[in-house]
Parts: sequence; structure tokens; C-alpha cells
Amino acid sequence: MKRTLLAVTTLLLAGTSLAQTKTLTVYSGRAKTFVDPVVQQFERQTGIKVNVRYGTDAQLVAAIREEGSKSPADVFWGNSMGALGELAEEGRFTKLGTALTRNVSSDYLPDNRAWVPTTVRFRTLAYNTGKIKPEQLPESILDLPKMTSLKGRIGWTVSYPSFQDFLGAMISKYGEATTRQWLEGMKALQPKDYKTSNVGMLEAMRAGEIDVALTNHYYIQRVNRLSYPIDTYFFKNGDIGNLGNATGAAILKTTKNSASAARFLSALVAKDAQTFFLSVNFEYPVIGNILQPTTMLPYSDVVKRSPRIDPTVLPKNIDKAQKLLRDAGLL
Amino acid sequence: MNARRPHPLLLLPALLAVLGVLLPLVYLVLRALDAESSELREIVFRPRNLELLANTLLLTLGVLAGTTLIALPLAYLAARTDLRPRRLLMLLGVLPLAIPGYVGAYALIAASGAGGTIDALTGIRWPGPSGYWGALGVLTLFTFPYLFLNLHAALRSQDPALEDAARLLGRTPWQTFREVTLPYLRPAWLSGALLIALHVLGDFSVVSLMRFPTFSAAIYQQYTAAYDRVYSAWLALALLLVTGAALLLEARLMRGVRLSRVSPGGTRRPTVLPLGRAAPLAWAGLAALAGAALIVPLGTIVYWLRLETNPFAWNSLLEAFQSALGAAAVAAVTTTALAFPLAYIGSRHSGPLARLTERAAYLGYATPPLAFALALVFFTLNVVPPLYQTFPLLIIAYTLHFLAEAVGPVRTSLLKATPRLEEAGRLLGLSAPQTLRRVTIPLVRPGLLVSAAFVFLSVLKELPLTLLLSPIGFETLSRNVWAYTEEAQYASAAPYALALALSGALLTLLILRREDRRAPRSAPTRPAPPAAAPAPPKEGPA
Repeated sequence: MKRTLLAVTTLLLAGTSLAQTKTLTVYSGRAKTFVDPVVQQFERQTGIKVNVRYGTDAQLVAAIREEGSKSPADVFWGNSMGALGELAEEGRFTKLGTALTRNVSSDYLPDNRAWVPTTVRFRTLAYNTGKIKPEQLPESILDLPKMTSLKGRIGWTVSYPSFQDFLGAMISKYGEATTRQWLEGMKALQPKDYKTSNVGMLEAMRAGEIDVALTNHYYIQRVNRLSYPIDTYFFKNGDIGNLGNATGAAILKTTKNSASAARFLSALVAKDAQTFFLSVNFEYPVIGNILQPTTMLPYSDVVKRSPRIDPTVLPKNIDKAQKLLRDAGLL
Repeated sequence: MNARRPHPLLLLPALLAVLGVLLPLVYLVLRALDAESSELREIVFRPRNLELLANTLLLTLGVLAGTTLIALPLAYLAARTDLRPRRLLMLLGVLPLAIPGYVGAYALIAASGAGGTIDALTGIRWPGPSGYWGALGVLTLFTFPYLFLNLHAALRSQDPALEDAARLLGRTPWQTFREVTLPYLRPAWLSGALLIALHVLGDFSVVSLMRFPTFSAAIYQQYTAAYDRVYSAWLALALLLVTGAALLLEARLMRGVRLSRVSPGGTRRPTVLPLGRAAPLAWAGLAALAGAALIVPLGTIVYWLRLETNPFAWNSLLEAFQSALGAAAVAAVTTTALAFPLAYIGSRHSGPLARLTERAAYLGYATPPLAFALALVFFTLNVVPPLYQTFPLLIIAYTLHFLAEAVGPVRTSLLKATPRLEEAGRLLGLSAPQTLRRVTIPLVRPGLLVSAAFVFLSVLKELPLTLLLSPIGFETLSRNVWAYTEEAQYASAAPYALALALSGALLTLLILRREDRRAPRSAPTRPAPPAAAPAPPKEGPA
């Protein structure tokens, strides 16, 4: 009995001392499929153990706020500029060194260098090629509520960060009143809300539940691989419906592992990880010299379609966007 | 029964059970009030709250009606007719309990629509379940066993003399059923209905998948989609109020119900009704039920399983299986251990203190799990930060939540084990702790095992507490089914769903066999406490 106890204690002690070597806690709004392989490679290369807490951006932002100075998080890896900007505005991130951001395209890098973009994606409209011709679709997303023929046939994801970012950007560009009006107009068309699940939404489109859906460009690329009858529709150049949006990562001020955290961020913008994000999820890389599949519009082309939105104003407008959604009874 | 005050040490667990639930709830209130008054006014008087309330109530009533429509005929067929084999009917009445609601919802969604299982196999496009009717259907199919078990036990134990008397006094069979049998079933129906109501009120997963906004669905949506937790806290409080109202209503309806036999002598077995030509009709109904609640869900899971091609899936499955089993095993032990003193007081002492003590167990069970989990997050961060996101906190949450399930079976075995044996032990010179170890515990071991098995099964299926309170990197079967289903990755969800359904079925069968063996040859003289479900607080037999 005594011997077993001793053995158990030794094991436990060994466990804790191992745990103390080097661990990094990452709060990830990005899905496990994209995170796991990168984390595993990082662990192999550096010997640093990485614990990942998965959640939606909003869930993790709320958690980091609730946890305050007691937060176990070292790194926040967010799915949207809104969430990253929100925490940056609150002064929860450390300023990143230039070594880390040197090779990263300046298009989506915030001036205060509170976070580094990891990939870029664009909002688009997905449509069922069997039911809709692109000529039938409006030039601007602002005119989508006029499409009464699509009543009950539109899908969106009200809880999804990129959608809320898009709404925040709409507020930045056109003001609250126009955005509220747009939401009311959309609501009158009885869109189906797929919460946070774009994959679920496109599955529903395949199943015939809806004909068009507001989503991110790569979801369509992913289902095209499975030859679904679904294609991408971009609104006219500069339209808010084509909003470009970055995912990104930041180091929390409360971290005690800033060196490991910085190494993790560098790994995310290194060639290996960037190639992986592109190949597995069709997201645009933030560094140059990575070959893109021909099914995707070249970055230089697609970036022109997106309007320019000041990323520092965006966070304030996400709160407003969530409020508008609640007022409209959608959230 | 012993009217003496129970030993203060025995009261400690009850105190823990109450404080463990109430203290975090205080923090939920504090968090809810943590906003500016203009914001608070806007939150509390939001028109959406009314819509959520209406939806929540409509769904609860709908599921109660639906489960009654399934459970009552099935229980009657199993208990009172010559339909055989009876064991098959029992299985049909109990096995759906092994399938958690979100697995059932997942399976039925993945079975229907273009490209779904039914379309792929037969070419028939069945519209997918969604909205009010979808939520109602799924919740009905996978919660009716709570009601079935209660009604079946009551129907088996009813003294046929009552019905005979009604017939002799000139009532038709139908009138007898309406005027004698149905009123007799009322308490059993009420306890089962309360369990189902608690389940529906607390469920966020099925309603979220069916896109039907109720309070729980809204809490979950706020939790995943808003940067601010104040509104979640308010919704959780609103849900607590609705749940409290349901509890009060049940207690009120239960008041004054006395069904114990007063005449001397034993009861006969219930009369068996020959079905004759109605039998094929009954079998058709049973086949439809088996199809919807068991065959289609399991078939769909197996169908999607073939499509899972990710070679790493099996490794993750093993890992998730291990953590799920580990957590369930630990929680089963802690919960049963905490339940024992509560049940002991409830069965060996009487008076208001004893009754209150036993009811303390139901507090955690009645608290909607999402609300409880949020409360625990606020509580630990503010009061005991070292517990935040740890395995012990998860176990504490399970224990407090499932305590009620463990109290029932232990109390039943304690009631059957006469205190005379304990007294004899004391007279023969054993100390109190020795009596406990050498007399009481061996006597109630079967009850303890059943309790542990119930809790084990419940923890395995549990989703909301697991989702909000698991330590970082802790993956279980339920978490993974949910994560993949939410993303409509049906093939990836399949292995976890199957592992859950199979281990659930295995446990259910084990419990059923144990209960079978323990059931006395002659019917008990008063409705036995419902077998598979925790008996909700009710007026104790005098």
C-alpha cells in the first residue's frame, strides 16, 4: 500500500515538473482542423507543449474579459478582426516586434501592431447554380433586401464572427440607420439563420433548403472540391458585401511565456503554416511567394473588390452590430 | 422510523449540496446586475424575452403531450395486455434513453434531406426536422422513457380490485379506464412529467440544432456569439424562474394525493387484457416507434460511419472515450457517496428536517445546467480562481447536478433493509461506524450500484456542463459529437455518436436486468419510486 502511494506521488510529481518545463496556452477561435496540425508541428520543432482552448471568438473574448488578470491564456488566435480589435482596444495585447511582422503584407496589419494577421478571407454570396443565374443577383449587397423572389431562400450566419464584422463594417461605412434598415429589409425576406455554421448552411443549400447564402469565400471552395452545385458571386468592386477580413493572432499582456508565445506567432506566419492554411482551407496567405490554386481569384485581384475599412474603428462597431441584431430580434 | 434529529455529521452533505448550488447562483445574480441601469432596463424589457418565454412554454407543453401519447399506450400494452414478449416492449420503452437528444437530433437531420441517408438509400427526400415540430419530435422520442417507466410501474402495481369494483358497479371498460385507472396514474404521471419538463427546459442542444429559440437556446447563442455575458446571465435567471414555477406547480398538483391501500391483505397481479384482433395494430404502432426512436437513428449513424475517412479519427475516439469514461466513473463514485447520507436521513429519520435534507438533492437537478455552468464560471473566477477550468470543478458540477438521480435507488434499498438489522448489530456490540460498514452498506450495495450506474450513464451523455466547464484539452464523446454536429460534419460525428449510443444501451440493459432481478414476485402495495428516474420531491408516505 505504502509503496503504491509512493509510486503514485512520484508519478504525480514527475507529471507536474514535466508540465512546468514549457507550456503555452492558446485560446483559439479557429477550428481544430486548422489548428491541430500546426500545433503538432510546432510542438515537435520546439519542444513547447501547447494547450488549446477552442471556442467561438465571442466566447473567448468574453472569457478573457471575465478572467481578467487571472487569464491562463498566452495567445489569442482569432477568427475575425472585430474580436482581435476589441481586445486590442482594451489594451490586452502586447505590441509585437518588427521581426515578427517584417514579412507580413501590410494590407491587414494594424498600425499599432497589437496583432498579426494570419490569413485573409473575403465575404461573398454563395448561390445554387441549379436554381439561380448570377445575372439575377444584385450588384450591391445593399440591394439584396429588394430581392423578394428570394424570400425564405436566403441563408446567413448571424452568430458567426465574420458576419458580425461585415455588419460592423457596414455601420462604419454607411452608419447605423442604413444598417438597421438593411437588417429589417433582410428580416422581411425571412432568411434562415445557421448560427455559426457556414458548413451547415452550405449543406442545407445542397439539400435544397436555401438558394443563396452570405458566407466566406473559402467555404464555397471547400464544397466545390466535393462538386456541390454551388458557386461564388462577388458583388461589384468596393462593395461592402465583398469585405476582406483577416484572422490573426496576438500575445496577451498577462502572459508569463512571452518568448514562447512570440515563437508560436512566428510559426503561424512562416511559409509552412501559410501553405497549409491555403491548401486545406483556401484562405489567402499574408506572406508572398506562395502558389495559389487556379480555382481562386489571385489575391491582387480579389483585394481590389473589398472596400477599405479602418480596422481601429471596427471593434466599436461590432458592439453596435450585436445590439442592432438584438434589437431586430435576430440574436 | 426514527424521529430523532439526525447526527449533525450526516447533515453536512446536505448542506454541501445546497450551498454548492446556491452560492454560484448568487454570483449569477451579481453578474446579471453588473451593468448600467439603462442597459439593464433595455435587457429586461426586450420584447424577445416574451417570445422566448412563449416558445419555451409551448415546447414544454407540446413535449409533455407527445411523450404522454407514446408512453401511456406503451406502458399499458406492456403492463396490462397479453402482447408478448413483454421484455421487447420494456426494451422499446427504455432504450431510447440511451440516445442523448443531440445524438437523436443529429441522426434524424443526417437521415433526411437531399443527400441524407434516406435519400441515398431509397431516393425518397424526406424533409428534415426543424423548428417547433422538429424540436418537439426529437425531444419526445428521446425523453418519453422517463414517463414510460413511471406509468409502467404504477400500472403494474395497481390493485385490480379497484377496477373490478368499477366494472361491477356498471361502468364500461372505457369508463373504468377514465374514472379509475387514469386518476390512479396521476402521481406517476406528475413525477415523470416533471422530469421531462426539467429536461426540456434545460435542453439547449436539440432546440439549437432545430433552430427553435427557447431560453436555453438563447443562453447558448449569447454564450457563443456575444462579447458580453450580462444578457446570458439574465436569460439564465429567467430560465431559473420558469423552472421554479414548474416545480411549484408539480408540488401543488401532488398535494393531497394518497394512494396507499388501506384494506388488509395482499394485492393480486393486474388483470391481463387479451388484445385479440387489435394485436397487429399494436405491433404496427410499436414498429413505427422503434423505427423512429431506434432504428433510423442507429442506422443513420452506422451509414455515416462508413463515410468517415479521416485516419486520425480513431485515435481521437479512443482518447475521448477514455476521458469520458474516466469523468463518468469518478463522478459516479462521488455522487453516490454524497447521496448515501442524504438517502439515509430520508429513510431512517422523519420530520421536516429529514425531508428538507433529502430534497436538498433536487436543487442541483432542477437548476438548468447551462445556468448552473455559467454561475460556476462566475463563482470560481471571483472566489476560487485555482478551481477555474479544472477537472475537480467539472466533477463537483456533475456531482451536484446528478445527486438526485443517485438518491432514489439508494433510498429504495434502504427502505427495504429493515433498521432492525442495524439495531441488532449495535446490540451485538458493533460501534456505529462498524454497523455502517458491516451491516448497512452490504445491505444496500445493489442500490448503490444502480445509483452509480445511473450517474455514470448521465455523465456520459451530459453536454452543457461538459461544454462550459471542461478543462482545456479535455475532450469527451459528447463534446465531440456536438462540435462536429454543429458544423454539419456528420461523418466525423458518427464514431462518437455510436460509442455513446452503444455504451448507453449497454448500461441501460445492465440497470434493467438488475432492477428485474430485484423486483419482488408480488406487486408492491404502493407505487414504487420510479425505477430509472430520480423520484422528484413528493409527499412522503405517512
